[in-house]
Amino acid sequence: MPAETQLSAAQDPTVKDQGNHVAPANAVDVASARKEPPPERPESIRLRYLVLSSFWAIIIFLGLPIWWKTTSIYRAPLPMDEMMDWADGRACRPVFPLRISIEADSLQDHEAQNLLRTTQHALDDLNDFSAHHLRLQLSPPANASSNANELSTTAADEELALTIRLLKGDSIQADLQKYSPILDIYYTPNQIPTSSSSSSSLATFIANTLRQIFAEEQAMIAYLLSTSSAPPERSPKALAPNVAESLAKWTTRSMKYSRTYHLTFSLFTPTATPSSWDIEAALEDHMKPLLQSFSAISNFTIDTQVQLYATPGVSGNILKKEDLSGFINAAEWPLSPSIGGAPTINFIVYVGDMEVEGGGKSWLIPQWGGVVIQSDVSDLRPAMLTFSNQLMSLLGAPESGSLPLRLMTLVRVRSASLLLKASGTLGSLARLTIALPSISIPRSVADGVYTTIEHLRKTCDGLGGQGGLENARIAEEAAEKAFFEKSMVGQVYFPDEHKVAVYLPLLGPIGVPLVMGVLKEVKAWKTRRRTSKQS
Amino acid sequence: MRQLQSLLVFLAAILTFARASSDYHEQLVLRPLQPSLLLASFNFQSNTTWASFEQQNFRYFPRSLGQILQHANTRELHLRFSLGQWDAENWGARPWKGAREGGTGVELWAWVEAETDEEADGRWLTLTNALSGLFCASLNFIDSTRTTRPVLSFQPSGYHTNSTASKLHLLHGTLPREVVCTENLTPFLKLLPCKGKAGISSLLDGHKLFDASWQSMSLDVTPICRSGSEDCQLQITQTTDMVLDIQRSKRPRDNPIPRPIPSEELKCDTSKPYNSFDTCYPLDISAQEEEWSLSQIFGHTMKGSCPLAENESYPVCINVPHARDIYTSGAREHKDESGYMRCFELTPQEDFEMILPPQDLSERAPLEQPLLYAERSFIGYGQERGGVQAILTNPSPTDAVDFVYMESLPWFMKLYLHTLKAKINGNSEDVIQEMYYRPALDRKRGTQLEVRILIPANSTVVLTYDFEKAILRYTEYPPDANRGFDIAPAVITIGNVSIRTTSLLLPLPTPDFSMPYNVIILTSTIMALAFGSIFNLLVRRFVAADEAEKWDVRALRLIIKGAISRFARRFMKKTTKKD
Repeated sequence: MPAETQLSAAQDPTVKDQGNHVAPANAVDVASARKEPPPERPESIRLRYLVLSSFWAIIIFLGLPIWWKTTSIYRAPLPMDEMMDWADGRACRPVFPLRISIEADSLQDHEAQNLLRTTQHALDDLNDFSAHHLRLQLSPPANASSNANELSTTAADEELALTIRLLKGDSIQADLQKYSPILDIYYTPNQIPTSSSSSSSLATFIANTLRQIFAEEQAMIAYLLSTSSAPPERSPKALAPNVAESLAKWTTRSMKYSRTYHLTFSLFTPTATPSSWDIEAALEDHMKPLLQSFSAISNFTIDTQVQLYATPGVSGNILKKEDLSGFINAAEWPLSPSIGGAPTINFIVYVGDMEVEGGGKSWLIPQWGGVVIQSDVSDLRPAMLTFSNQLMSLLGAPESGSLPLRLMTLVRVRSASLLLKASGTLGSLARLTIALPSISIPRSVADGVYTTIEHLRKTCDGLGGQGGLENARIAEEAAEKAFFEKSMVGQVYFPDEHKVAVYLPLLGPIGVPLVMGVLKEVKAWKTRRRTSKQS
Repeated sequence: MRQLQSLLVFLAAILTFARASSDYHEQLVLRPLQPSLLLASFNFQSNTTWASFEQQNFRYFPRSLGQILQHANTRELHLRFSLGQWDAENWGARPWKGAREGGTGVELWAWVEAETDEEADGRWLTLTNALSGLFCASLNFIDSTRTTRPVLSFQPSGYHTNSTASKLHLLHGTLPREVVCTENLTPFLKLLPCKGKAGISSLLDGHKLFDASWQSMSLDVTPICRSGSEDCQLQITQTTDMVLDIQRSKRPRDNPIPRPIPSEELKCDTSKPYNSFDTCYPLDISAQEEEWSLSQIFGHTMKGSCPLAENESYPVCINVPHARDIYTSGAREHKDESGYMRCFELTPQEDFEMILPPQDLSERAPLEQPLLYAERSFIGYGQERGGVQAILTNPSPTDAVDFVYMESLPWFMKLYLHTLKAKINGNSEDVIQEMYYRPALDRKRGTQLEVRILIPANSTVVLTYDFEKAILRYTEYPPDANRGFDIAPAVITIGNVSIRTTSLLLPLPTPDFSMPYNVIILTSTIMALAFGSIFNLLVRRFVAADEAEKWDVRALRLIIKGAISRFARRFMKKTTKKD
């Protein structure tokens, strides 16, 4: 470029005039020494416009979309409203209809109908919690014993909670069978209600007995609903403080529900003896039958170990209550959870003659397992019985009732808690999505959410049965998986300073000429318009 | 020497076969080495029946490890943690014939049962991750680039039925960079039934073990079956070998700084004419046996014997001539007929101490000569290429040695196979019998090279090859990239004897790590420059110099002045109004 020529932004002589206008008078002589460039041709002005606008067009229509596309975070659309509905309990109203069948072969049909009606009436009067509802029905008369098998299969389909057998007896009394869900009610003939009476002592008795049997379950479900975020009008009246307290303990004690649990039985001894125990036989005799009855709810795998030279975390022969949590020497005892994903429940036999303050040689560690102190391991029966009890409460089974009833209650309570938990997780996920706009939401999370909602709906329709539990488990698993999605947890962190530091070296030198060019053109256009108006 | 060899073979035979029926066995063998060193070999072995292992009823077999093996379908496992270098010239053959020893860092190999290679890889991943948690080591970093499937070098040492043997996959991984330390010893001790509370394991202490000149911890799980019967057992063997410096170990722990011997304790050669109270020529004391005791070497005495171990075997043995004086705390001594080995029968529940006083002894327990001396080093120069040279010497004057030399190199060390040369005693001769080579794939797998070589008696083979150093990606460099990259030791297998060379440190060209930002700035500047000129050329108008609008500095100054005076006037007005 020759030295004489110089790049100049002054295209229009009027610019200078304007400058003179503003500048003080003594500056005029410098500017007036300048020679005016020849006026620009309109086509060169038009060409400049075109150049400028095409640059801007490229930036706006090509650059910005590319930048947007390459830096935006993928957020799969989530059904937010539905998720919040589940979390707030608006989507599902948990109802547990319990079918109770009355077997009254000794009664006339109309008598039985009458009894059913009055008992149902009495039950409805007693019950103030609509979510947990006992419904009576008459079982079809078992006219032939050969039909019994058939009957039981059809009954299983409908998932009866309890069968009441009315039997003639000397006095009125109830007898809950230990190993099957059958309640025997003995009655005297004069207690059969007449068709006219609206209540009878037998009906009241049956209603009271049923209520007593299901009181614990009802309290459990009521407690679960009250601790969830369900609308207040749905949760029942406040529980008695002592009941609420024991239920709070029950929730902290019980393990998270899983399809499979891993049980570890360990023998710890402070010295080198005893180095073996007859655990296989003890498990076979005392543990396996119980685990077998759980098979509909959970499966179990078992391992055992012997650990010598194990010193507990606390010393002394009398263990205080506050020592019990420190008894397990977590640093030295090899009690690591089993691999494979199933939660591990630990049962420990410690060889020693220590005693818990105030008597007792065993205790339960919430959500972890149980400990039994025993000085002699030749007889493992007492320890196994203690472990069975501890296992029941660790799994969250109610404390009263016969075994089949406790297991059935467990199914219902577990389904309810899983339902509530999955719903809660959905709510958390929805809130998280709203709170963190920079978090990416992969496709798999959306899929997980839809799976959860689908299975939650199924659970809600079939609460109280085996299918409900299975659906609730799938829903809960899918919800947890969606919430703890790896790529979401590790959120991309790009601070704004970082972005500025990366973009500025490019945007600064390119942006300044572009913006200045536009400003100059606008200015020139304005002055041109003004001069054309004046002229 | 033959006597000693036969004794060791006998001991090994006892360990492997006689113990198969019993449950737990432990033994410590001490062997003084020259100069002023002590080799301590700890061996712990226990068995579990296959049935109780399947049912997960664990007694002596550690539960945590058993579950990992079952979860990963691993039939045989070998894990090694090693540190330091074995000085074969001075210390002789390696303990356990090198079979219980790994390369520097961590080495793991296992036979995994799987239908396909992919399944085996998946199980190997499970295994390495689980072991990583169990032993607090970075075993989870053994990925596909560090995993090889050796063909010639490793053979299963356990018994596998024909049906499982066909489905077994051997996988081998090394972590030469891993620093073995106390956090690996603690879980190792926890696997023992006596847990370091009693028996010889009570002598194992991280402060002493990791202060050793050379140390190796091993864990082997092998299935053993009596031939022809279904009575199978799973055997777990844990060993710890260390070479301790006696002088160094004797320093008190609270005052570990070495200090000169006080002048009154100096042993001077009084025959020298210049010997006086302030001039001393030290006596040659190398003929004298060092004075040491168990508590000095290991920090404390041994806490009785582990009651689980059988009685018929002796927990502590020492390999010294019978003439050497040894005082113990009430243990019964059993000398064997070879003349160089004696064992001690301990009284349980009582601490055991062994003291060896200073003694002038002409006789020494003989050293076993190694079958092969091996050393490996880098040759070449520059940032782009390099070479490796392995010098393998057969010291035997009569016997030829047939062995397999295995290298597993990382992918960024690109081997040129055509440069692989073996020279025997300086002449190019064809000594390579067989070769297995699996080339590297970038970022997927490393190079695997196995060479079978026959060295005639009393000869030296020099194996050399060249390689090229790859340029890594920015994120592939470790935090201290300038330290270099550790290259796993070569494994030399001679029948059931194995030898490992030392690991190597490969310097790679390392970038300046502030580079990305510099690149951004530089490219942006160039782009801006190009853009600015093109844009201005297109948009601006060219006029003559005297026609251009001039940038007037004076005018600007006046404008600023005017603005200031206007502002001042307004300010003054305000103040006057206030007044």
